[in-house]
Amino acid sequence: MSLDKFKRPKIVVTPPTPPQSASRRSVMKQGLAALATLAVGETIWLTPGVAEAATQECCITKKPLIGQRAAIRRISGDGRRKNDYTKAKIIKSVCLNCSTVCGIQAYVIDGKLVKVGGNPEDPNNGKSLCAKGQSGPTINTYAERMLYPLKRVGVRGEGKWKRITWDEAYDEMARRMRKAIDEGKPEEIAIQIGRSRIAEEMTRFLNAIGSPSLFNHRALCSSNKRAANYVCLGETDWETGDFANSKYILNFGTNLYEAHQGAIHVAKRVIKGRFDNGAKFVTVDVRCSNTAGRSDEWLCNTPGSEGALALGMGNAIMMAGKHDAKWLDTWSNVNAADLKKWIAQYTPEWAEGVTGIAAKDIRRIGLEFAAAAPAAVAFTNRGSGAHYNGFNNDRAVILLNAIVGSLGAVGGYCYGEEPTRVPPRVFPNPQPIPPSPKAKSAIENPEEWPLANKWQRMKVGQIVYRGLKEGRGKVQVYLSYTVAAPQTWPEGRSLTVDVLKDEKLVPFHACSDVVYSEQAHYADMILPDASYMERWGFDTRNNMELRDYVTLRQPIIPPPGECVSFVDVMIQLGKRISPETAKYFAFKDHEEWMKLRCAGLTARVGEDGFEYMKKHGVWQDMSKPKYYALYGWELSAAQMKDARVDEKTGDIFKANAAGKEAKIGLMVDGKPRRGFATPSRKFSVYHEDIEAAAKERKFDEDGGKGMPEYFPIPSIAKMKPEQLHLVTFKWNVHTQGRTQSQKFLSEIVHHNPMWINAKTASERNLKTGDWVEITTYRPHGHAMGPGAGEVLGTAVIPVWVTEGIHPRVLAVSNTLGNLFHGRAATATNGARQDLPVWNDSLVSEDQDLSEDIWWDPRRGGTGSGYNINAILPIQPAPLVGMQGWYDTVCSIRKV
Amino acid sequence: MSMPRTANPRWKLALDVERCIGCHACSVACKVENNVPLGRYRTKVYYWEHGHYPKVTRNFLPTLCMQCEDAPCLKACPNDAIDHDARGVVRIDADRCENAGKCESACPYAAIGCDDNDIADKCDFCAHRTEVGMEPACVETCPAEVFHFGDANHPESPYSLFMKKYGKETAVLKPEEKTKPSVSYRGHAKEMEKKIPKGKLHDPYSYEIETWTALESQFPPPKRVMWAKVVRTADGSFTNDKPEAQA
Repeated sequence: MSLDKFKRPKIVVTPPTPPQSASRRSVMKQGLAALATLAVGETIWLTPGVAEAATQECCITKKPLIGQRAAIRRISGDGRRKNDYTKAKIIKSVCLNCSTVCGIQAYVIDGKLVKVGGNPEDPNNGKSLCAKGQSGPTINTYAERMLYPLKRVGVRGEGKWKRITWDEAYDEMARRMRKAIDEGKPEEIAIQIGRSRIAEEMTRFLNAIGSPSLFNHRALCSSNKRAANYVCLGETDWETGDFANSKYILNFGTNLYEAHQGAIHVAKRVIKGRFDNGAKFVTVDVRCSNTAGRSDEWLCNTPGSEGALALGMGNAIMMAGKHDAKWLDTWSNVNAADLKKWIAQYTPEWAEGVTGIAAKDIRRIGLEFAAAAPAAVAFTNRGSGAHYNGFNNDRAVILLNAIVGSLGAVGGYCYGEEPTRVPPRVFPNPQPIPPSPKAKSAIENPEEWPLANKWQRMKVGQIVYRGLKEGRGKVQVYLSYTVAAPQTWPEGRSLTVDVLKDEKLVPFHACSDVVYSEQAHYADMILPDASYMERWGFDTRNNMELRDYVTLRQPIIPPPGECVSFVDVMIQLGKRISPETAKYFAFKDHEEWMKLRCAGLTARVGEDGFEYMKKHGVWQDMSKPKYYALYGWELSAAQMKDARVDEKTGDIFKANAAGKEAKIGLMVDGKPRRGFATPSRKFSVYHEDIEAAAKERKFDEDGGKGMPEYFPIPSIAKMKPEQLHLVTFKWNVHTQGRTQSQKFLSEIVHHNPMWINAKTASERNLKTGDWVEITTYRPHGHAMGPGAGEVLGTAVIPVWVTEGIHPRVLAVSNTLGNLFHGRAATATNGARQDLPVWNDSLVSEDQDLSEDIWWDPRRGGTGSGYNINAILPIQPAPLVGMQGWYDTVCSIRKV
Repeated sequence: MSMPRTANPRWKLALDVERCIGCHACSVACKVENNVPLGRYRTKVYYWEHGHYPKVTRNFLPTLCMQCEDAPCLKACPNDAIDHDARGVVRIDADRCENAGKCESACPYAAIGCDDNDIADKCDFCAHRTEVGMEPACVETCPAEVFHFGDANHPESPYSLFMKKYGKETAVLKPEEKTKPSVSYRGHAKEMEKKIPKGKLHDPYSYEIETWTALESQFPPPKRVMWAKVVRTADGSFTNDKPEAQA
């Protein structure tokens, strides 16, 4: 039975010309063809057995309705179950169905997780959760959870597995790691992660074995935005807009009502600001997201012009004299007069030409924003950041706040100290702590993007597979965790799969996951993971209430079967690799590790720290005032001890631990103040490190000048009139790769046609439901791979005609089009296949999945969607390396 | 988390829909809480996109049982399986329901119904939660504070406080049905009432993006965009011909 023909777009991927030989090309095609013949689940399963027959009978037979019919309808017996909350045990923990990490409180009745709600004590989300958060309990009882460690028996990617013991798994992994260490190549042990939220634990493990090779996904997410905040503020990578108290909320490309990192936290407060505080809410986006569609104004700009728009507004404000000159002269490293001179080049009329937004609107909104200041906040995320020029787009938007003096103000662009520094400080790790690795990896730290790892190790995740293929670095042992790179990476189903399948490039791959994912399919060993509701960890992010806080993730119920959390796997490996690594893991398990760390909290809370965290799920530091105007905080007498004040400049210097004198603050209004955590201790409009990095990398475009200049995106500048932009987006009920197996989420969104503007569609004689062939092209620009302007690939996809998108932009969600992840994700209604990895006594069959997947195309449904990431090119932005997700150039043809 | 209530609460709900962000948290909270099967709904959020580029707006409308005082379902049930409880909530007696389906035909709000292997089911304001002092699942989770639920007899309940402030601006859905709903709305797009089926449960297809611009409630196959035409072959496998679009 082959369902793939109608469920998936036909995708052809052509490799770039220069390094590829003809034979290589044919191998790649065979690889894809082999993939296409694999229907979900077919080859991993052995023989159908008793369980399947029983399930079918139960589902198909119409049983008479008698007595409490509730128990009849659902084979799980909880069809019309009423949760008896008087019997419920409440356990606090943290959601991880996206990266917003809301506090949750879970209800356990008779040992079963029946419900989650928001943790009322969580300062960010309180009792609110989004659809994804509410879907959490369906993960634990998911009928197709991986329950036992498996080892590959067939060809890699063929899907034949045998069950092994954990001892066998640990021994083989430890042996392979020991070999790499003994050969003096610890860097060839790599961990590839998605949204792990166990960075501290993973760093300890890799440091213990001496490997720097932690491959993450930050460059696929937000590294331009983070780099921009580091440049401007120095302190942290993520702002905390004070939206609830704002009067003007100017949103550059953030889909905060659906998908923003911190979505619910921000959305709650934007709604409060808008409806309870009278704020105006303006959204800049190339697509009418739910956010744009519910804003007071939607400004639909040309992709990648967000910086130009912000500079045009900044120009309008400064030329009208509505800027905060005193603030700039005090706190900015470019004073008001110099900034005015520089920004004079970016008139609203110039910006109109770049952005497509009328100059009068740019001027009007800029002046409205300034009039509302300091209770005015302009902020960014992927819409502005995921571009070749995204680093400067984001800097230009942050600059708008500085121009009107709303930085750190009530209702303005606020920020606190870097949140990730809080857990290690308040909850210190047990001694001994392994030193940072001496070994280097050109994949983890690629020289072309010198700003990728400058402020934090953001890396350039999208080049990992290309790097392995090109021999830039090697791996002997490759562990993957919470990631589905074949599905979510650019060129995922071509280059990523090609590399993952190649046993020379990736000799050993162990994947830890809760479901049979696309990543697991290409592994040699599957390590069944504990879900986020079955494991430990600390979590934190920026707190919208402007205080440091840390939350505790704790098991709500034990993991089923032989599932083991990945941290416990690392602890076991650490113990087994060698005595040298074992000394860093002298605790029984992750729980004991957490308990040791929580001892650090005991003095602060006046009771046992571990018990406090388990009881509340969150600790908030109330010892400091809220982080308003952090730069203006006075330095304490202790901080000023042995400090030196330069009488002429007012700069304050002090010797650091290494004995080297560093600038620690500024004298302002006669008081010593901390300033910004930048080299000048002032807000950095200009940053010398950018100019130096650009010079070193011979990046001679305007983006390398050190000021937040607008500079064009080469691929877009070279676009032909008939070509279009292709962008992606995220749905409010999904993440990129990890929610499609959840039935209540995929029921709402399971199919993702391509958005096309009504006028553009009409010109091409297209109506909703028509199919097009879309062709994408490889990028132009600094440090891009070979083959600029050549065809990357084609896909066939249906269109949805809408008024809600820019006429030259096409949009396809980056979610969906799953080949794996079970029945809900692949729109495959029917009984669970009987195979040795499931166990009915542990996780029972779900009648929803066997009977009620109404979007299965065989039942007239719309199916499980299309994976567009397959034909998006790898395109790291200059210097920082963030993926230019929204820079893809394409053409379409009706088929 | 107990709610302000009198000894004999009368539960009512007002939705401030201007605040709604269409996030579906209420729907999923309800599905998990009440274990509602796929394709069936106690609460459902509708989308409506309208306007012309670049002036485009998206409206959302969360729907659920209106807990009508003059409930057509109650009157239509031949088995007296539906009644108001002491809180004014329309409830189903599972053991009296004989699956007749009359309730579904009578309801103007697509809020009640049964299939051929089930009892009737509908929103009961999460009676099992309110009886132990908890808010209904949808109300509790809403990040946008759309739902104002509570005891209409208690002046400090979120419902009473909201109605005191905004009561004059609220309206019920489909007032022409004259069923005296206990659920009212502020700021909803009147046109969207057309999206809520009458006499039939919510059509799952109305989740599809192709229905966002439509003001219709039912999408039988001829009205759907069929992405895939599927043919079952003699050996039981499935193939597809060239996918066809239908009007």
